[in-house]
Amino acid sequence: MTTAIGYNPVAMDARTNETWLDELRSPGPVRDMALDDLHSIVRKGLPYALSRWLSPDDPLFTPLVDEVTQETLLRVLDQLDTFEGRSMFTTWVHKIAIRIALTELRRKRWQDSSLDEMVDNEENPAPERLMADSQASPETSAERTDIMTRIRRILDEELTEKQRQALIFLGVQDLPMEEAARRMKTNRNALYKLLHDARLRLKHRLAAENLNAQEVLSAFETR
Amino acid sequence: MDTHPTAKPQIPDELIENLIRSLEHTHDEECTCEDVYAVVDEFAEAEFRGEDAARLMPLIKQHMELCHNCCEEYEALLDVLEKSQSA
Repeated sequence: MTTAIGYNPVAMDARTNETWLDELRSPGPVRDMALDDLHSIVRKGLPYALSRWLSPDDPLFTPLVDEVTQETLLRVLDQLDTFEGRSMFTTWVHKIAIRIALTELRRKRWQDSSLDEMVDNEENPAPERLMADSQASPETSAERTDIMTRIRRILDEELTEKQRQALIFLGVQDLPMEEAARRMKTNRNALYKLLHDARLRLKHRLAAENLNAQEVLSAFETR
Repeated sequence: MDTHPTAKPQIPDELIENLIRSLEHTHDEECTCEDVYAVVDEFAEAEFRGEDAARLMPLIKQHMELCHNCCEEYEALLDVLEKSQSA
């Protein structure tokens, strides 16, 4: 199916979706030329895709772009039959490149920040978070403590060990989804479902206890 | 300080707050990351054309409000479409 959406993100790409598929499935020089063009398109798109995270001047930039471009082309060839033609072929390819690039970037960033954090923690141990705020009134402090106790009890009763572990990995240790999933011997999709189940259980339990999320949050906001 | 006889890892207050906050966007039926990945190219193109992609695919939008990673990937794809056009 050709998707004619009235723009051409990369001027050199005049192929329709069918042409891309035909050429990439053809053996020999036709496929080589299509792959060369696709290589250029991916390389041209990646700086835009990474612009919020990585400057082209960063020493990480070029090796990352090289690695991601190669991996993208391999994955595109491998997944060619899964392309359904619901977008332009090149948009689909950029999507694949972005998933690879950001997964790798998150992994690298997390490794670096974990190292920084280890050094920081050794030099400046983090202070314990205080439950009570010295400026809060006794009533406010008591209400907050009461709500927090109830919420902690609900979490203890409702969350499975896996759900708790996932929350700690993502919310406390700041692991990227892929890394948390790897440690839990699962995948990003299943991890999302696990957390969705946790949120849903919590939501239903709060409702059953006549606790409104907004009321709970306002107790937090009075800190 | 709370003590937990079962020695479960303690969930900090801030994480509990974020969890409670996320309940406002929690629905019985939600898309998964795979569902979003399958259509994010179509979603980004619709947005790029100036269509209201969130209205056309509300479940995708809803997922991205909760899933930071999927949201980042969508925004990166939109950047590619927009910046390639203006280059």
